[in-house]
Amino acid sequence: MAGVLPPPDMSKQLYDKEIIAQYLLGALPGAETEALDELSFTDEEFANALQAAEKDLVDAYVQGELTGAELEKFKSYYLTSPLRREKVQFARAFQVFAAGHAATQVVEVRAGKPAEPAARRKSAGWLSTLRDFATPRRALRWGAAFAALALLVAGAWLMFENRRLRERASQTQTRPDVLTPREQELQKELEGQREANATTAGELERVREERARLEQELKVEREKRLAEQQRAAGQQQPPAQSGAGIVSFILAPQLRGVEQPPTVTIPTQTRYVAMQLRLEPNDYPAYQVSLLDQAGNQTLWRSGKLKARATGDGKALGFSFRAGLLGPQTYVLRVYGVPASGTPEVMSDYPFKVVK
Amino acid sequence: MMSESSTHKVEQKRDETLTPRAFRRLLNWLDEGTDSGGHKYLEMRQRLVTYFDRKNCAMPDELADETLNRVARRLEEEGVIKSDAPARYCYIVARFVFMEHLRASQKDAALLDDVQRQTRGDNVVPSEADEEKEITEKMLNCLEQCTGKLEPLNREIITRYYVGKGQVKIENRRALAEELGITANALIIRACRIRDKLEACVRQCVGAG
Repeated sequence: MAGVLPPPDMSKQLYDKEIIAQYLLGALPGAETEALDELSFTDEEFANALQAAEKDLVDAYVQGELTGAELEKFKSYYLTSPLRREKVQFARAFQVFAAGHAATQVVEVRAGKPAEPAARRKSAGWLSTLRDFATPRRALRWGAAFAALALLVAGAWLMFENRRLRERASQTQTRPDVLTPREQELQKELEGQREANATTAGELERVREERARLEQELKVEREKRLAEQQRAAGQQQPPAQSGAGIVSFILAPQLRGVEQPPTVTIPTQTRYVAMQLRLEPNDYPAYQVSLLDQAGNQTLWRSGKLKARATGDGKALGFSFRAGLLGPQTYVLRVYGVPASGTPEVMSDYPFKVVK
Repeated sequence: MMSESSTHKVEQKRDETLTPRAFRRLLNWLDEGTDSGGHKYLEMRQRLVTYFDRKNCAMPDELADETLNRVARRLEEEGVIKSDAPARYCYIVARFVFMEHLRASQKDAALLDDVQRQTRGDNVVPSEADEEKEITEKMLNCLEQCTGKLEPLNREIITRYYVGKGQVKIENRRALAEELGITANALIIRACRIRDKLEACVRQCVGAG
């Protein structure tokens, strides 16, 4: 049996969201529906677009964004299938969950810093407690209990404070004659201490003046000696080049909000640059790294499959490439996680600025 | 990691009438030369289930398995299928299976009632409100457990990608793709896969709980 080819104008609209929505709601004519049925098998890109569009359509329904004919069609067609109703059920729960997480977590997805698992578990625990509060009757009960407890604590503290202040006030009133000689004694000690402080301050000032004088003399001596050396040596030779074959750097994942990438200085005669990249926590068995020119987003170099090695506080990736690839500008090292089967996935970016 | 779990799922789903050799031949044919560890089989099966579900068939899982069994038997009989690429051939067989199912359901009065019930939304008995609420509560608890198993970056992606409405959602997604340094399309695919994984985990959790 021959498959039905899409009509010419259809091919241009394959990934049009409106067309896909109509297809999902069973609202397209027979021939177009068949064409998209076939594409859902044979065209990877269309299949992905279809899956994404279906999720968005279901979310739109759950969030009350569908209206008019589209809403009616969703109810009368889409919801007739038990499998599709389950998707709506999941979407409903997921929207509540995601909205709660977006409200409580720090919304930070850099090319770097992962959220702390402990903080997330703690947040999830609070979230489940918050959901307990969501039911009205329980909220009232808990609210009343907290209010009563707060009143009790406040009342106890006030009573304790009141008694303490009264005791202190009565002590002050009954023993004025005992305190006065003690006060006089303390006064004398205080005056003595002040005199001693004044003497010390004066001595300190003298020492500072002497030090400044000596530093000035030292400076003059050094200048004289330098001038003599210059006269004796004649024209200075330029310093020898270090000529290091390899230079090494360690980079950490980029933090969001950090404006300037780290600067790496590469001496002129360097042949290779060795990099060690500290990795964020992950489960990938292997990795791949690309060197990108940040200005043009061009790939200048790509590694083969790399294995990470354990370090004291995590994992790190080591590799090297020719220093000749680098000029005085900013670059990005992009790390990809390579799962056991499947295509590499972007993990982190490590920008750096080269100075030569 | 993918090949272990997918191989296990593959073992659960295959028809008992297929010999191991026939099943292995089917997997190899779907893989088209690169070993996907059963991933291609599971993906094709899911596409078939979705196809039959879109056609409002009452038993999309069974029809998907019937389709794949027929393809496997053809491979066993002829050794090779050269007429079409695997995806297209599976679609062609699926169409046949659907048409047969439709004819059979039209003849069978009991099946006809079932189909009518499927296609007339106002006759579908809605769940009781308390039962719905209980299921939602279970799902929320399971979502916490299941998102806890995700990698931190994937967890962040899935919670940011699907939050918000209208223009806010579009802007969130654009910013997320930019932060990750990937195209919008790559982000869509990644978010979809994470959500599918999450949904499967939640269903398993709710079913077990």
